[in-house]
Amino acid sequence: MTHATRWRLAMRLLARDWRAGELRILSAAIVIAVAASTAIGFFTDRLGRGMINQSADFLGADLVLESPRPVAAAWLAQARSTGLRTSETLKFSSVVVAGDKLQLAGVRAVAAGFPLRGSLRTAPGPFLTDAEDAGMPAAGEAWAAPRLLTRLGLDSGDTLTVGEQALVIRKVLTFEPGQVGSPFGVAPRLLMNLADVPATGVVQPGSRLTYQYLFAGTEQDIARFRGWLKARLGASHRLVGVQEGRRAVGSALERAERFLGLAVMAAIVLAGVAIAMAARRYSQRHFDMSAMLRCLGASQRDLLGLYLAQLLVLGLLASAAGCLLGWLAQQGLLVLLAELLPMAPSATSAWPLLAGLLTGLVVLAGFALPPVLRLKGVPPLRVLRRDLSPLPSNAWLVYGIAIAAVVLLMWRYTGNAKLTLAALAGGAAASAVLGVLGFILLALGRRLHTRVGVAWRFGLNNLWRRRRTSVSQILAFGLALMAMAVIALVRSDLLTTWQDQLPVDVPNHFAINILPDQVEAVRDFMAARDVPTTQIYPMVRGRLVSINAEAVSQAVTKEAQSDNALNRELNLTWTTELQEDNAIVSGRWWRVEDSGRPLVSVESKLAERLGIELNDYLGFTVGDEAFSARVASIRSVQWDSFRPNFYMVFPPGVIERFAATWMTSFYLPPGDKPMLIELVRNYPAITVLEMDLIIAQVERIFRQVTLVVEYVLLFVLLAGFAVLFAALQASLDERLYEGALLRALGASRRQLRSGHLAEFITLGALAGLVAAIGTECLAWVLYSQVLHFDYSFKWPVWIAAPLVGAVLIGAAGYRGTRPVVERSPVVLLRER
Amino acid sequence: MVAASGLGKRVYTAAGPLDILSDIDLQIQAGKAVAIVGVSGSGKSTLLGLLAGLDLPSSGDVWLAEHHMNALDEDGRAQVRGQLVGFVFQSFQLLSGLTALENVMLPLELAAAAEPRAQAAELLERVGLAERLTHYPKQLSGGEQQRVAIARAFSMRPAILFADEPTGNLDSSTGETVIDLLFELNRERDTTLVLVTHDEALAARCERRIRLEAGRIVPAGTTP
Repeated sequence: MTHATRWRLAMRLLARDWRAGELRILSAAIVIAVAASTAIGFFTDRLGRGMINQSADFLGADLVLESPRPVAAAWLAQARSTGLRTSETLKFSSVVVAGDKLQLAGVRAVAAGFPLRGSLRTAPGPFLTDAEDAGMPAAGEAWAAPRLLTRLGLDSGDTLTVGEQALVIRKVLTFEPGQVGSPFGVAPRLLMNLADVPATGVVQPGSRLTYQYLFAGTEQDIARFRGWLKARLGASHRLVGVQEGRRAVGSALERAERFLGLAVMAAIVLAGVAIAMAARRYSQRHFDMSAMLRCLGASQRDLLGLYLAQLLVLGLLASAAGCLLGWLAQQGLLVLLAELLPMAPSATSAWPLLAGLLTGLVVLAGFALPPVLRLKGVPPLRVLRRDLSPLPSNAWLVYGIAIAAVVLLMWRYTGNAKLTLAALAGGAAASAVLGVLGFILLALGRRLHTRVGVAWRFGLNNLWRRRRTSVSQILAFGLALMAMAVIALVRSDLLTTWQDQLPVDVPNHFAINILPDQVEAVRDFMAARDVPTTQIYPMVRGRLVSINAEAVSQAVTKEAQSDNALNRELNLTWTTELQEDNAIVSGRWWRVEDSGRPLVSVESKLAERLGIELNDYLGFTVGDEAFSARVASIRSVQWDSFRPNFYMVFPPGVIERFAATWMTSFYLPPGDKPMLIELVRNYPAITVLEMDLIIAQVERIFRQVTLVVEYVLLFVLLAGFAVLFAALQASLDERLYEGALLRALGASRRQLRSGHLAEFITLGALAGLVAAIGTECLAWVLYSQVLHFDYSFKWPVWIAAPLVGAVLIGAAGYRGTRPVVERSPVVLLRER
Repeated sequence: MVAASGLGKRVYTAAGPLDILSDIDLQIQAGKAVAIVGVSGSGKSTLLGLLAGLDLPSSGDVWLAEHHMNALDEDGRAQVRGQLVGFVFQSFQLLSGLTALENVMLPLELAAAAEPRAQAAELLERVGLAERLTHYPKQLSGGEQQRVAIARAFSMRPAILFADEPTGNLDSSTGETVIDLLFELNRERDTTLVLVTHDEALAARCERRIRLEAGRIVPAGTTP
């Protein structure tokens, strides 16, 4: 056969097989697998490329120096003499007030020249189309994020107050360079002019501030200055270049890709199972044709070429459709996450498209190749003896190729061999456990068949007879339903737990940045309004730099090096009274004579993470000054008590010499919020953290993120349906024949249909039951080991999952078996 | 044209080895029509499969024209089949996904023949199905399907035509029409015909009969 003939014949057969509906399930499964993977692929690619294209824009500079205090003017002079342009900004959290409303905002005060790279984006009003903006807020002006305006009920032209300074909102801020590191920021942003900061009264010694110095210039100048600066940096300084900025957002994206990648892999594997089932049937239905072609002189190569060409074209077409669907799905993903995204997505590149096509072909090859390869081994004698079939494919080949395909795709998502193997082993173990569970449930269901009516008996018998495919379907749906149930459960439980964590009378507000000379006044202010406060604690910002004279980076384990407590300034405090919710684990609490002695009490979990033990010497720096203290006690802290709590507590007389601000927490009933405005107006430097609002904001983010996960899990469910329909199709010939026989023997259509309904309702309910058992176990592990929640029996899942399974699968199966009663029994029996 | 010597086929069953065919020696001259007759299970179809190179013997040799079939590999035998052999089956064996015309074109296309469409259309016209070119097998009656199969079998102008119970699935009058057509074409094209049947009347239309009984040839003149 010439190539052209083979190709023409292949396309003709493909068109006919397509019309006959044989290849639809196979294609649908490819579409699902590719759509799931490209949706995530497009999403991360667009964001990732957005990030790379915009990384200098992102940072607003080529290099940024962050410091909790102003740096020496000589450093900036050095930068300018190196030929760099410079600018600076000051970042702080502050409660912004408008009329009788207030809102914690992430404020950034910017100086002339900001940003040095990239540009701000603004819109004329909230949620209107934005555009690049070459300007910056003038003195007396503020640009605010849409969310801040919505919260405060403001619009452009209105006025808000930061500390003691009133600012007029001129523009709506939609993008601001330099927000790296925390792609999912909590507080809405406000941009103001640096010149207005002194008038706000917010900046006081000891306030939590971040000074940012921005530098831009040629690559060589930046490198030169960077080298010069690096030698002079202190522990509290942080240097962020384009690389570091990219890495920060990049790693968040990578984590998202890995996590969503696991859900995508579940969809791909299920789609693969459907593809394998459909390909098996396709292969079986082409035995006769292959035998005939062999009879007519076609070589094994001809046959192989004929079928592989069809498979290739089908794979490419279905993958292309999957890419299109994935692109649409990704648009949905962007809409779902619009508010949380740190950057504008870039235009689509061809890479996810290519990856999507490859994914489709790899899944197809991995799961469809072995049954299709069998076709070349069909003996030509089959034209005379229908019972002759090609040798079954070698099981090693079948599973080997499929596993190779899965490993290849999994590796693409994780980029890590260990993680790939772990995920594979975990997936295989979970499938084995759920599969066995499904089988046991099926066997139990089977025992009922003598006690039920004819329709149910028919249905249960069908399930048992095809128990291998039944178990695979129970597994597919069980997995999808379980994943969705766990997400829904964790979401609702986390949300209610957060809400429950704020019982009446427990402090629900923190006031920080209270200046030393305001401590008494604030105490009186609260007392005058009958607001019970916790003790007011001083806070000194300092860094832990050494343990037993060894630099912390060397002293702690590798895992602990990334501990947040080492990479930022800690709040140090002193007190004589041990807090009610603290308990000494080892060592002893301060005695009167400890006053002034260099001792420190360390929080137990931090001590454990960093390997700090009793009597170790800890070195700290506050500003430029270093000091050390001996660990006199290790304390356990109940962090969720919503009282001020600290990692490091000193006795009086040790750190009083440093600049400090004070903090307290208090309970305020919702109706008393106006008091906060009065507080902030009287003491503008104070930052009030409203825990209810912060929790609400975290909830919102959590809701959006879990929604995205569920969105991706929908593909898993779809893939489950592909498995169902593939299994249905595989058994259709047999069902048609049995149906015809039963009808010939006097069974009514109604009886047959009831039997089908019973079969699929049972299948769905069993899948739901497997999901419920899996959910219960997984939830128990998650709650007790990870989230540390009180665990309770999740009874709603035991009702909802089987019900949802029964309805979904019952309906789909009922629809799928319709041909059994639609075609005439006479025709069916004659065809046989 | 077709020759077999010492041909045997043995299969292994749970009860032990079973000889389906033994010591078959035969020669069929070019252009002759030969019927292989015998009761069900006598080994007729097995013999046809071996002679056509669809299966390999356990012992003995088969020649098709000058080709020593059991010395060739499966692809080699396929090539010989493609060049020399046409088939007509009891169950028609048309490809359901292809139209009547496409079914007839298939062997021509496989052999990369010139103008397969025109040749196939002409053959279908010859078997009286000019109006049925675009019909799928399912849309044709049994007799029509077998006529398409005959057109397909003759499309490559084969030197040898193997027919396995060609009327087995047809009623007697349709069967007769189909057989008339088969013999007509056979004569026209001077094809060697090897026909397997249990129908004595049909066998009588052939120039020679080879009777099989329990896997062996019954010598001519012996009463079954």
